[in-house]
Amino acid sequence: MPSAAMITTPKKSNKILMAGNKAIAEGAILAGCRYYFGYPITPQNEIPAHMAKRMPQVGGCFVQAESELAAINMVFGAAAVGVRCMTSSSSPGISLMQEGISYLAGAELPAVIVNICRGGPGLGNISGSQGDYFQATRGGGHGDYRTIVLGPASVQEMYDLTFAAFDLADYYRIPVMILADGVLGQMMEPVVLDPDRRSRSDLPEKNWALTGAKNRPPRVIKSLYMGEGELEEHNLRLDKKYRKIQSQEVRYEEYWVDDANLLLVAYGSSARISKAAVNMARKRGIALGLFRPISLYPFPSAALAARAVKIGRVLTVEMNTGQMIEDVRLAVNGSCQTFFYGRPGGGVFDHEEIFQYCLRLMGQA
Amino acid sequence: MLSREEYHSGVKEAWCPGCGNFGILNAEKRALVELQLAPEKILIVSGIGQAGKFPHYLRCNFFNGLHGRALPVALAAKLANPELTVIVHNGDGDCYGEGGNHFIHTIRRNPDITCIVHNNKVYGLTKGQASPTSDKGFKTKVQPYGVIHEPLNPLALAISLDCSFVARGYVGDLQFLAELIKAGIQHKGFALIDILQPCPTFNRVNTFRWYEERVYHLEEDREFDPKNQLKAFHKALEWGERIPLGVFYLHPKPTMEEQIPALAAGPLYRQKIQPSKVLDIMEELSALS
Ligand SMILES: Cc1ncc(C[n+]2csc(CCOP(=O)(O)OP(=O)(O)O)c2C)c(N)n1
Repeated sequence: MPSAAMITTPKKSNKILMAGNKAIAEGAILAGCRYYFGYPITPQNEIPAHMAKRMPQVGGCFVQAESELAAINMVFGAAAVGVRCMTSSSSPGISLMQEGISYLAGAELPAVIVNICRGGPGLGNISGSQGDYFQATRGGGHGDYRTIVLGPASVQEMYDLTFAAFDLADYYRIPVMILADGVLGQMMEPVVLDPDRRSRSDLPEKNWALTGAKNRPPRVIKSLYMGEGELEEHNLRLDKKYRKIQSQEVRYEEYWVDDANLLLVAYGSSARISKAAVNMARKRGIALGLFRPISLYPFPSAALAARAVKIGRVLTVEMNTGQMIEDVRLAVNGSCQTFFYGRPGGGVFDHEEIFQYCLRLMGQA
Repeated sequence: MLSREEYHSGVKEAWCPGCGNFGILNAEKRALVELQLAPEKILIVSGIGQAGKFPHYLRCNFFNGLHGRALPVALAAKLANPELTVIVHNGDGDCYGEGGNHFIHTIRRNPDITCIVHNNKVYGLTKGQASPTSDKGFKTKVQPYGVIHEPLNPLALAISLDCSFVARGYVGDLQFLAELIKAGIQHKGFALIDILQPCPTFNRVNTFRWYEERVYHLEEDREFDPKNQLKAFHKALEWGERIPLGVFYLHPKPTMEEQIPALAAGPLYRQKIQPSKVLDIMEELSALS
């Protein structure tokens, strides 16, 4: 097994061609993740494969668990002792992890969970899909909690956001989910690797981690609050944290929005395709714009509302039968017209299809 | 007289050329013909994996469900309709990894189902990761430095749980395998048949050749008695130079279905719901209050 000393550090800012899944693994390694736990499932197998090779090289530990339940609980254990750790899976496996994610949220532990979403419900298929938006952004497991959810739309973002996810997880003591899909996971794109990137400097000390109790009282990790009013107090504290996240951690991109007549709203793969539709329209002098949520929780409601109200018409584009559109409607709160275009079950639209639909909406087809 | 053709589903098998699954399909059809079990009396339950595709290729009732969960599904189906012959087809990852807990507890319950495990010692469908039965040192894309864990020994585990029928087959020995499947189906109680199966695509270690040099029939050992749990356990530990095939352990005992009083009156799906029974209880309760 190669030792840590044998690692060749990549040269500064080297641009290399990489698949999305591998970029996630590299982003995690750069962020100092040294514990990876997972279970095989398509279309994310390249993440564990890469982690299996790389963890021993960087002095970390890779475990292929016996199930996703085991994997998420291994994450629970590693997080409890204060190390940076992650797991990845795809939709059915993420469903199995929901119990553990709820407990991580309840115990306020930092961890990164990657969902390379596929078509569902049930076994569905292995095509790219955005069918897990509700599950990801509404908590997913039982109880009154949220996780931060980031939706990358390029291989570069898979690298960057995975890095960022570890900082967010530690800063807020919260599980962070990367929500992508099989298209992004398998896609190859150039990525600028940035070995000099460092974590934010204001991360709190992990004064809760189970590091041994020599000369201090032992610490306890739990999500059980049975005393009168205790759980309510805990829930309210969590809520305060979620509100802070809502005010501080919103991320989005706007593209050709200033003079747009119709605003497309899309994230992840759908956003890439929508962007191509906007480009196509702009070449023909048609004023489409794109609003791309990057943080799906917290959803960029205020920014979207401000933009949408100026444009008056919003088209949500998703690879499902309409999930994020609920957040869009809540954000615009009746201040503009909302439309939806989606394809479920792993059906992937192309930009031409979206462009034609926009023309129809604008009465130009 | 049922012929072999009656069991053909007509669906084209989506397995690699040379896959051991073809042999298992072949042997099972042979067993079903010999038992003259009508397709409509059979329920095949499978999980997810290359093995999980199995029931698509056999004409019978089938349930292709969740990865790892075939056994609880099969158990409940058997309880609801004990007249069905329930056969489960699992992969080794499916049955011993994801579904490992169900494996242990279904053995304890002893329903009359046949649990066939296509043991290729690797995750086939997800393209070649180590499985719970992969040997130590086995290298894959995800275990590039080799497996560091002890392999799970399904036979020893089942015998330790006093599983009522424990056998090992091998796809290179089809007539023998068909006999084992027949015996497993005929056995009343939980029957485990772990089938050694080369995977020409993802397991380059445990090949046909590798097995041919090692396998032998338990019957060759005249001393061997499958009714003796300790001896069976001891035999189950034999692996490496020589690999025994056959029935390791036999312990007939009451099945789960036999011990549930409600089933004495026939399968639940055929029983009428009797509201009067509920009325009696309600009367009793109101008399109490
Ligand atoms: C909950 C869940 N996790 C993971 C998977 C992905 N998956 C499909 S089949 C399989 C295992 C395949 O190996 P095995 O059970 O040994 O069967 P084989 O394909 O080798 O016959 C896995 C992990 C899934 N479908 N569902």
